[in-house]
Amino acid sequence: MSAHSITEPSSGTKWIAGILVVGYAVVTLIPLLWIVATGFKTPADAISYPPKVVFDPTLEGYVNLFTTRTRVTPEQLEALPPPEGFAEEIVRSYGMVIAGPSRFGERFMNSVIIGFGSTFLSIFLGTLAAYAFSRFKIPLKDDLLFFILSTRMMPPIAVAIPIFLMYRELGLSDTHLGMILLYTAVNISLAVWLLKGFIDEIPREYEEAALIDGYTRFQAFYKVVLPQAATGIASTAIFCLIFAWNEYAFAVLLTSGTAQTAPPFIPTIIGVGGQDWPAVAAGATLFLLPVLVFTVLLRKHLLRGITFGAVRK
Amino acid sequence: MRDLVSGFLRFRRGPWEMLATVLIGLGVVMLMQPLFLWAYTWSFIVTLAGTVMFLVVSHFPE
Amino acid sequence: MQVVQQIFENGSFMTNSVITAAAEKTPPSVARKVRGLSDRAIAWIFVAPTIFLLLAINIFPLIWTVRLSFTDYRANRLNREVEWVGLRNYERILTDDGIWMNMQATAHFLVWTIVFQVLIGFALAYLINKKFKGSALWTTIIVLPMMLSPAVVGNFWTFLYQPQIGLINYMVEFFTGIPASSFSMLGSVELAPWAIVIVDTWMWTPFVMLICLAGLRSIPDYIYEAAEIDRASKWRQFWTITIPMVLPFLMLAVLFRGIENFKMFDLVVQLTGGGPGSITELASINLKREAFEKWRTGYSSAYAVILFVTIFGLASIYVKALNKVKAR
Repeated sequence: MSAHSITEPSSGTKWIAGILVVGYAVVTLIPLLWIVATGFKTPADAISYPPKVVFDPTLEGYVNLFTTRTRVTPEQLEALPPPEGFAEEIVRSYGMVIAGPSRFGERFMNSVIIGFGSTFLSIFLGTLAAYAFSRFKIPLKDDLLFFILSTRMMPPIAVAIPIFLMYRELGLSDTHLGMILLYTAVNISLAVWLLKGFIDEIPREYEEAALIDGYTRFQAFYKVVLPQAATGIASTAIFCLIFAWNEYAFAVLLTSGTAQTAPPFIPTIIGVGGQDWPAVAAGATLFLLPVLVFTVLLRKHLLRGITFGAVRK
Repeated sequence: MRDLVSGFLRFRRGPWEMLATVLIGLGVVMLMQPLFLWAYTWSFIVTLAGTVMFLVVSHFPE
Repeated sequence: MQVVQQIFENGSFMTNSVITAAAEKTPPSVARKVRGLSDRAIAWIFVAPTIFLLLAINIFPLIWTVRLSFTDYRANRLNREVEWVGLRNYERILTDDGIWMNMQATAHFLVWTIVFQVLIGFALAYLINKKFKGSALWTTIIVLPMMLSPAVVGNFWTFLYQPQIGLINYMVEFFTGIPASSFSMLGSVELAPWAIVIVDTWMWTPFVMLICLAGLRSIPDYIYEAAEIDRASKWRQFWTITIPMVLPFLMLAVLFRGIENFKMFDLVVQLTGGGPGSITELASINLKREAFEKWRTGYSSAYAVILFVTIFGLASIYVKALNKVKAR
């Protein structure tokens, strides 16, 4: 015990701290668990009072999420061949048949295309700019960096007014390309700042040695610096992807059909008499799940990401 | 206090930046306070002045 | 190539002096020109696309907004004659009682979310810093809400807040006995401003917590050890060491949350849509109404410029705070 530091908290303190933190974590998780649970409820179970914690799980929410259904008369239902698969069966038990796929799959794919497209572009441009800012003398460097960061702070609704007009002129409204460019412009500031931090940490000696060995600057950049920055690039990419994935304001104002992403779509899923909560919850679960996984992967770099690389540990 | 005044006079960054920060803060408070309509009306000028000042004085030497 | 390999294989810089000696002998400008593009050219080639993209998608629209803010342009009527109105839009916005009320609604939201997030976030960071077993795992769990889509989560919270069937009302009844159907968090003028504060606090407390935790971890142990030797009480240590050392980090968190909540849109628009009445109509929601529902483009451009300048001012303070923390 003699080596025990005086600043080390006692085991009693640790226990109390642990219990309080775990208590907070459990409370904070309830809404998320409730989303997942509601996705597996029937509409009746979802809106029962008192709220049901124990229920018979069903895939009805997911079926409703992915299909559109039409009501048929009992006679017509009788005349149909036996249902194929569980989805038909669930739908028919409500006196309906599946009319076709819903828009959810399409909207989810839009999120994927726009998310990955803008992430790729912002990382590509961001890495180049970050390297230049990290290694070269650039006139007005600090001003440029501040300018780049300030673009991220701007309120989306205010930016959306001229973007809306500009996209209307250029025919970019409600297109994938338009959204990819827009999200790239927002994400690039984060990419440059974060990646500059990561590249600053790579010793210059590596490149200088490569230059002496006859590499050109460009070769030194992609053969020496890029592999060293791989972890940083990966975590920056995840941050950009999460932003584009979650973004709502631009999406709701600038897209309505072909390029609409999932966040503006999910709240519009309606059933009989208001929102179809199990279907909404099912959509939300599928939509939030990737982000939860990414957050766990990112946990070591979270702090950097949320402070634009200023706080490193 | 003497340092502050001489900092202002010699166009040093520190005190001027502080002044600009105070102006921006004041403007933001004026914009959102619930008490005086006139303060709300003039808040934008104050914030604008503070922001422009910040841009200029951040180029003064340390 | 050999030198590079040597460095990588040894993992050290034994050859460093040799390299620098060699490098010093070759005039850099000559050496680089021989190998193709100069550093200067590469710097420009690397930075230019980013700057160009930002100019096209941020600065050009910004200048356009400023121009429009002096006109009475309406984006839904293309053939209408556009008139130059000078500063009239600004005048009207800055003397408008309604918008002043929206600003106060924003202030209520902003101030209380910051108060709660700082108190809870700091407390959590303080507890996690006691390094109990499994603290890393629980930190990751606590952080989850912050990473999710505010619109999707906000929409689901309207379900939790339902008076008849919602989980929140049920829990309130369970713990306090107030009947669940007797109040509506999102429907009542008194409760709605607090309902949005609660959801934002739930979502963003982890953000403040993470930054505070970084602040706490940046305090070296020996300072506390020295205080212990001086027989300073724990209470005194907390106020004279912990708080001052964490303060720059806390400032950073407050400024960032302030900026984010000043322009808050997605979460609140999903929760209340600005209602009931306009009691939770924050500045951004109000601006969206003016710009995309009433289509008063010129007027809302002036509104946007006011928000821009305010945020730009706050952002410059934020960057100053950022550099202060970086220096630590």
